[in-house]
Amino acid sequence: MEYAGTRLARDEERAPARRAAFDAPFAALTLLLLTIGVVMVLSASYARAYFSASTGHNAAYYFIRQLGFAAAGTAAMFILSRFPMSFYARMSFPVLAASVVLLALVPVIGVSQGDAKRWIDLGFTTFQPSEIAKIAVILYFAALICRFRARMRTFRYGILPFAAVLLLIVGLLVLEPHFSAAIIIIAIGAVMLFLGGARLYWFIGGGALLLGALAVVMAFFPYASNRIASWLDPFSNTQGVGYQIIQSLYAIGSGGLFGLGLGHGRQKYLYLPEEHNDFIFAVVCEELGFVGAVAILLLFALLIIRGYYLAMHMRDRFSFLVTAGITTLLAIQVILNVAVVTNLAPCTGISLPFFSYGGTALMIQLGEMGIILSASREIPAKT
Amino acid sequence: MSEKNSERARRAPSRTMLRRTLFLLSVCGIAAFAVLILRLGKLQIVDHERYEQAAVEQQLRGAPISAARGTIYDRDGRILAMSASVDTIYLSPAEIAQAGEDPEAIADGLAEILGVDRERILQRAQNTSSWYEVVARKVEPEVAEQVRLFKEEGGYTGIKIEADTKRYYPYGSLAAHVIGFVGTDNTGLGGIEARYDEALAGEAGYALRTTTAAGTELLYTNFEDYVDAADGENVTLTIDAQIQYFVEKHLAQAIEDYDIQDGAAAICMEVDTGAILSMVSLGSFDLNDYQSISPEAMAEIDATAASEEERAELISAEQQRQWRNKAISDTYEPGSTFKIITLAMALEEGAASGSSSYYCGGAVNVIGRGTPVRCWKSGGHGSQTLTQAVQHSCNVAFVNIGLSVGEERFYDYAEAFGFIERTGDSSAQLTARTGIDLGGESGSIWWSEDVFCNPENFSQLAAASFGQTFNITPLQLVTAVSACVNGGYLMQPHLVESITDAAGNVISEADNTPLRQVISGETSRQVCEILEQVVGDPNDGTGRNAAVAGYRIGGKTGTSTKTTEEIAGNKEYIVSFIGVAPADDPEIALLVLLDNPSSESGVYISGGQMAAPVVGKMLADILPSMGIEPDYTAEELEAMDRAVPDLTGMSLADARYALSQAGLSSRVVGSGETVSSQLPAANSVIASGSEVIIYAGSEPAAGAVSLPDLRGMSYSEARDALALYGLFLNTDSSVTDAAGQAVSAQDISPGTEIERGGVVTVTLVDADDSMLGEY
Repeated sequence: MEYAGTRLARDEERAPARRAAFDAPFAALTLLLLTIGVVMVLSASYARAYFSASTGHNAAYYFIRQLGFAAAGTAAMFILSRFPMSFYARMSFPVLAASVVLLALVPVIGVSQGDAKRWIDLGFTTFQPSEIAKIAVILYFAALICRFRARMRTFRYGILPFAAVLLLIVGLLVLEPHFSAAIIIIAIGAVMLFLGGARLYWFIGGGALLLGALAVVMAFFPYASNRIASWLDPFSNTQGVGYQIIQSLYAIGSGGLFGLGLGHGRQKYLYLPEEHNDFIFAVVCEELGFVGAVAILLLFALLIIRGYYLAMHMRDRFSFLVTAGITTLLAIQVILNVAVVTNLAPCTGISLPFFSYGGTALMIQLGEMGIILSASREIPAKT
Repeated sequence: MSEKNSERARRAPSRTMLRRTLFLLSVCGIAAFAVLILRLGKLQIVDHERYEQAAVEQQLRGAPISAARGTIYDRDGRILAMSASVDTIYLSPAEIAQAGEDPEAIADGLAEILGVDRERILQRAQNTSSWYEVVARKVEPEVAEQVRLFKEEGGYTGIKIEADTKRYYPYGSLAAHVIGFVGTDNTGLGGIEARYDEALAGEAGYALRTTTAAGTELLYTNFEDYVDAADGENVTLTIDAQIQYFVEKHLAQAIEDYDIQDGAAAICMEVDTGAILSMVSLGSFDLNDYQSISPEAMAEIDATAASEEERAELISAEQQRQWRNKAISDTYEPGSTFKIITLAMALEEGAASGSSSYYCGGAVNVIGRGTPVRCWKSGGHGSQTLTQAVQHSCNVAFVNIGLSVGEERFYDYAEAFGFIERTGDSSAQLTARTGIDLGGESGSIWWSEDVFCNPENFSQLAAASFGQTFNITPLQLVTAVSACVNGGYLMQPHLVESITDAAGNVISEADNTPLRQVISGETSRQVCEILEQVVGDPNDGTGRNAAVAGYRIGGKTGTSTKTTEEIAGNKEYIVSFIGVAPADDPEIALLVLLDNPSSESGVYISGGQMAAPVVGKMLADILPSMGIEPDYTAEELEAMDRAVPDLTGMSLADARYALSQAGLSSRVVGSGETVSSQLPAANSVIASGSEVIIYAGSEPAAGAVSLPDLRGMSYSEARDALALYGLFLNTDSSVTDAAGQAVSAQDISPGTEIERGGVVTVTLVDADDSMLGEY
């Protein structure tokens, strides 16, 4: 804090109109997690890459690509941190509109992986428009909340427009289908309303509605109820979804207190599916042990706490809402991912920020951190 | 300022907002992480071992390392059974599919190299859920090398080569029943291979390593555990492959000569130790191909089988028959060979002596028996000494000898010689085994003590005195007779001389201490003397057809009717002869048993006419091979077959001289000065007095002649008869009396076309009328 403070003081001295420096602890925690994450991608992916013909048996295939995206993402983070928050306020609607258009395009020009169509092929990589939709919802909701202010306590302004936007996006996501993204977007939307001052009982009603919807989904999509059954007893279905959970538990459990050592995991040798994507944290646990895994979780916790801390020190509501929203989005993703990997939650495809392999997702996440850094620059020096 | 402050306050987050943020911070930043960390603690610390074990279990793959199976040697270190490295070729269709390899190309290549049906390989290669599909087992190294090349050139990861071992039996069928064989899993299934399986097999080791889910090696991390295999121990048998060969050769010839219906057996035992030098059961089989039955049996099955199932059943039965070790698995009534035992106990008990005399009027009455016991010679043998009674194999005399021993003492000796084991229940039929170190030994069948030792009925004792109405194995007889001639000691018959580990250290050795002394050394010496008279006496000896020129041979004939067949109305015989040599200090006992000779063979069915010459021929080969030098009499030398010298290039005079020196006469064809050719070829062995044809300036006319039937002719008659055809004669029997001995069998059947100058080998027997009888 002292560092940031001195920088702020110096900047104000030189040019009062110029913004303060970004929050260094937040940036440092982000880069630290990113570095660990990229190293873990190498460790987790080299076996799969080596044994797979599609990578040309190049063990470093995923690592090199992730390294490139991490570099580009870091650059994006610093560039985005230089735009003023007013820019993001202005951009909130265009971004939302763009994400809706992209989501609508997915069923048309999207590419399939498995049963779902969630990706758009960009040639050098694929990306999920749902990632854009998440930040779009945060920005747009923040802008809207700022506009409606006190009227947020009414249904007409505080709920209806927001619900309409959410319904549109979630509807498009269910079409893909992409339930995990839908759940996260509903959650982040709810959090934005919660922060924006919506009445608490609406959340009770909304929660009941959600549970009802969930029951319907369970009834009509057998794969969802399958997931729940595998969650409750993974050993009941050792070949299907249960296999993934069992292999994850084997990896985590065999890590023990200090782990098998970085690079020395065995479960990544084609036993554990998605070992460098959604289940990378299982490899972390196996190789770095309880101590390493907890250290990484603590880094995430620190980053999240720092995010909320910054949010609470914002001088304007938009910055506050965007910072708290992005922080919560990060928190939801980390917590849900680790919960899935440790079988605390039913298996669903949620990646671990900064760790999971995936170029556009990583870049967008780093971009989001850049927005928080931008907001952090608007915190004036303590008076 | 206040306006600016209020504007700033208006824009700033409200208190509610900050409160709610603080709530989110405590939930998303603290509480949730606390839950996750607790969960990790549960999985990684509390349940660590459980998950680790489960993970290790799926990651570790063990590959057994097979132990090299021990070698089986004969007593001179010849290899009878050995293991060599071979390979098993299998496919991993899952990997073929994974690597996108072409199953068609794999099937083509392997089919060509291995000679396996292409469609079968293709079918296996396409079973993509499997990791292990065997294409060919126990492939020779050269072929496996071709597969290895094919695999490398094509880069086929789905073709796998696995080390295995294969058992080789260098001598094929030699001593098949003794050695036994192993199954595809290298477990002993018969003979020594099965009996000593544990020692031979050794202990398999294993290599344990972590693998990927695909079963391949990890890239950088590897856990390996390696436990080396303990190789099997080597077994040295008492079998002498040379002797085994001689015995098998002559026994096989006998089966052919006498048209033996139910197989034959022979055992040669070292009398001082109980070591088995040779054990033969025929018909036999090739150990390297133990499932195959003989072509004749196959042809017969093909002709008779009505359905596939019946055919399979018949083949299976024939396999069981060929694997059966007649020498220890079949029991029989020994007949007159058993008189040696009766003789030994009578001498030991003083119930008979050199000065005893026995009168045979052709039959004798026995208490408790309705009809008199008949001697094989209907007119009777008249008055005989003890030696003559044995020489004549006189049943009447032996009934009297048995009666004078007495039923109680006779029963005691039966036990002492190892034919029975008392159980304490005197009403039970008794049995006993020798306990030889080989599987499949049958036990004897004897009358209960109550029946045998009944003072009101001596019919069992009387029949037993000449070897009828009880059953024993051939091995039991050889063991007991060995005790009769080795100084009186009953030895433990055994096949394993020693067991050594892979480094050559002796682990165990045969124990040659006698089980017990049954008769005295003096009695044993007397038995030997009398047995020598059975073979050696050209006037009274019924075993004279077993005589071997240059050696002192003792022995006894046996001709027994099969009681069970007799009851069924058939007349079937087992003819046998047991020889001991050298008779003055016996080293070996040799029993030959021919089961059910055909009455159409033209040879009188009896041990003396059939089995004795076989034993004689075997001993003539065995004794020199044991380093026992012959000591010929002048007559024997005179009567012996001669080797033809090489005459080519000699002057006629020199050639004639050379032939006369060799004891052969000659006839010259042509008008040259030097020998241009000769019949028969040099080094042929032919009967003494044969006429060698010398060609001087001319060549023998080519052409085949039809071989005449020589059987029934005397040796010299046969020689002269053949000379008319330009053929020559020799014998593997001993020539004791060229004018008296008759041809009983010839190695080439009458009517066969053979080239002039050919040599026919015959069996000689003394077939005087006095020699013809069931004794």
